[in-house]
Amino acid sequence: MSDPTAAATAATQQAETSGADTREARPREASSIELKGLHKRFGKDTVALDGVDLTIEAGEFFTLLGPSGCGKTTLLRILAGLEAPNDGRLLIGGKDVTDTPPHRRSVNTVFQSYALFPHLSVRDNLAFGLRMRGEPAAERHRKVDEVAEFIQLGSLVERRVEQLSGGQKQRIALARALICEPDVLLLDEPLSALDAGLRSQLQVELQRLQKRLGMTFVFVTHDQDEAMVMSDRIAVLDGGIIQQVGTPNEVYEHPANAFVARFMGHDNLFAISASEDDWVDTELGRLRLDPAEQRDDQAGWLLIRPETLELDGEVPEGYNRLEGTVEERLYRGSRIEYRLSVNGRTLMAVASNLGQRMHDVGDRVTISVCPEDLVRVAA
Amino acid sequence: MRKKTLARSLTGFWWLTLAFLYLPLAVVVLFSFNSANSAAHFAHFSLRWYHQLLGNEQIISAFWNSLVLAIVSSVIALVIGCLIGYGMYRHRHRKLGWLIVLIYLPIVLPDIVFGISEMAFFVQINRATGLLEPGLVTMIIAHVTFQIPFVALIVYSRFVGLDPTLFEAAKDLYASPFQRALHFLLPTLKPALISAFFLSFTLSIDDFVISFFTAGPESATLPIYIWGAIKKGVTPEINAIAALMIGAVALAAVISLLFNRQGRR
Repeated sequence: MSDPTAAATAATQQAETSGADTREARPREASSIELKGLHKRFGKDTVALDGVDLTIEAGEFFTLLGPSGCGKTTLLRILAGLEAPNDGRLLIGGKDVTDTPPHRRSVNTVFQSYALFPHLSVRDNLAFGLRMRGEPAAERHRKVDEVAEFIQLGSLVERRVEQLSGGQKQRIALARALICEPDVLLLDEPLSALDAGLRSQLQVELQRLQKRLGMTFVFVTHDQDEAMVMSDRIAVLDGGIIQQVGTPNEVYEHPANAFVARFMGHDNLFAISASEDDWVDTELGRLRLDPAEQRDDQAGWLLIRPETLELDGEVPEGYNRLEGTVEERLYRGSRIEYRLSVNGRTLMAVASNLGQRMHDVGDRVTISVCPEDLVRVAA
Repeated sequence: MRKKTLARSLTGFWWLTLAFLYLPLAVVVLFSFNSANSAAHFAHFSLRWYHQLLGNEQIISAFWNSLVLAIVSSVIALVIGCLIGYGMYRHRHRKLGWLIVLIYLPIVLPDIVFGISEMAFFVQINRATGLLEPGLVTMIIAHVTFQIPFVALIVYSRFVGLDPTLFEAAKDLYASPFQRALHFLLPTLKPALISAFFLSFTLSIDDFVISFFTAGPESATLPIYIWGAIKKGVTPEINAIAALMIGAVALAAVISLLFNRQGRR
């Protein structure tokens, strides 16, 4: 806080937070994060991160997504300073913090297990970070009341930690990190222990909160739906390597490779055996692609999103035509899912339920596929 | 029907075990209040032997020796054992099984072997340097050595029962290493430390064998005094000392248990 502009920012924040409505957003200078060539090994042969280069913009809701053991948690722990990389640099807000211990980083973490101190009351848990930084007692008290009001849990402040429910613990853990007003907030699967209803409610709340605070959030999850709902951008990790970085629709609609496609929930991936101009030969048959999807390499996969398939009526001019049989029908209310057999391969199709006639198991159907909806995916 | 008989006989067995454990103690306590000088015939209630006990300078001196020994050795064992327990926790993922066995060994070693070894060790040092004359200091050192494993294991098990991310949360929330010790480790450990202190205290008060081998002429503790006095026959005065010791040790044990339970909650 030796920087005069930072001090000025703090002063304006002070002025604003002491205003009438304490729930107003606090404009602050968010920090960007730069990761350069990060390597992390555990023991001799376990590679957790294998050369990670990544830039996270200031004020972004950024998600690290991947299966367990992909390195996402290790990456988060390196950001927090709880783990040191074997190689590479880490910059937060333009400052190299690779060798800065966790207690000197303006970074706070919401842990998966919440990690609330059992020997302290909720109030003392919330004030812990401020107390360690040496803020005066009166200031701590005021900030705790303010943040408790902000997360609408003011009535719980004097309770003991063991008296809280899972959802309440989650919010207190979040508030304990936010109260310190860090440059970056890290969230390690904070919603994974909650039931589905509370979980989707908190997904929306967290996303709104992040936009209101303008703080840089780095969120770790293995749930691709959660990642898509909340994030500005997603990095998909596997085997300690970043497979793709992009906005939710980029990652979902144009996965960089077969791993990302499968991890984002795509079932309709078909190996390409040959391609020429805008034609590809796949296990389903020969299909025409949008010219923009032309590639030099022969290998790879063709991705067909189930919701782009049309099962009713005529095949429009220029569309691909496939013949198939309905193997299974799942009625999901708002939509109907079909498992089709085409050329001996399984093809999934999803139709919005608009009251049209449903196909029965065993029906022969004509499937029309728009060339522009076909996506080529690298191996 | 058979189930009922079984339950009833098990309950009976439980009371029998309790009687077996506590009747001898009850007899000692009862006869400490005997007005007659007899271990066989109870005349009527009197505090005569307790009065006599307070006038016996040897007993008073032995009492103070026991108390000083127990408190000083427990405090030292608490500090060292706490550090060892924390070290065992911090390095629990490394292959330190042999070190843990070394910590356990004094617990399972027969007291007499331990006592004789300590004595031989102190004699050697005394002969070489003139230091460590047998007395209260050598007794304190000997007691600390057998108390440390208990303290270390209580502290270790308290740490093992904690969510490991709490340590990281403290770091994450700007606590320096010193602040983490002061504001996280010590408050979290408090019940375990109190429990460990009272356990060490009772172990020290109880101990006869190791004290016997390491004591000097001036540093007899209550058990050593009793052992010496008993050669002349069991007097009701001895019963009174025993009754007081039972009370003190039971109190310390209950306090230890209560705090240990509070720590687990």
